[in-house]
Amino acid sequence: MSYKITEDGNIATVHLDGEIDMDVTEKAKEIIMPLIEGGKEVHLNLKEVQYMDSSGISVLIESHQKAAELGSRVVLKEISKSVLKVIMMAKLEQILIIE
Amino acid sequence: MTFSESKEFQVHSSSLKEIRVFAREVLSKDEIFKSTKDDVVLALAEAAQNIVKHAYNGAATSDNLKIEISYNNNQLKIDLYDKGEPAIPTNIKPRDVDDIKPGGLGTFFIGQIMDEVLFKTAATDWVNHLILIKNY
Repeated sequence: MSYKITEDGNIATVHLDGEIDMDVTEKAKEIIMPLIEGGKEVHLNLKEVQYMDSSGISVLIESHQKAAELGSRVVLKEISKSVLKVIMMAKLEQILIIE
Repeated sequence: MTFSESKEFQVHSSSLKEIRVFAREVLSKDEIFKSTKDDVVLALAEAAQNIVKHAYNGAATSDNLKIEISYNNNQLKIDLYDKGEPAIPTNIKPRDVDDIKPGGLGTFFIGQIMDEVLFKTAATDWVNHLILIKNY
């Protein structure tokens, strides 16, 4: 997994790339959580994520819940077809913020 | 078409990618798997992840796990063997998917994707033997 972060005002966009599994979830959290805790609205661009398992989905849930707790939000952008399929399998398309 | 392929991997989260590569290669053997390949790879990877997380509690080990993928009589069978802590099948349940919280989705995904999930114990030299079946 690789990533790139761009910031525009209060919005931090994290472009994730590659496969997100148990082996990289800690790294993903280390990237995303400080942005949320720093008060940013975080946009996760998932266009280049070809694979995500339940561990990756857990990162999305945890990020979403942390942001909500702090009065902010995490928005999922340009979700790849394969990741969207897993989000839907977990019945999270109505819970997570998808734009 | 009939085939059977097996490979061993170190019990570690870093092996998960290698396991997916192996599964994708095996499931690329025939067009019959094309529409379900990604799902089956996910189910297999979730089962392997459960071995790392639960059978070994994430602890470092030099142990291997073994995966065997076979196809016969329109049935895809995936056998996973490990030497971790003995699984208690009755304790392995998918969580309620409506209970939104991180974790516990792997078993739910496996159940959604595969037609049958079976546990066997005392399988030859191994401790746990999980069987995933999908009918075509």
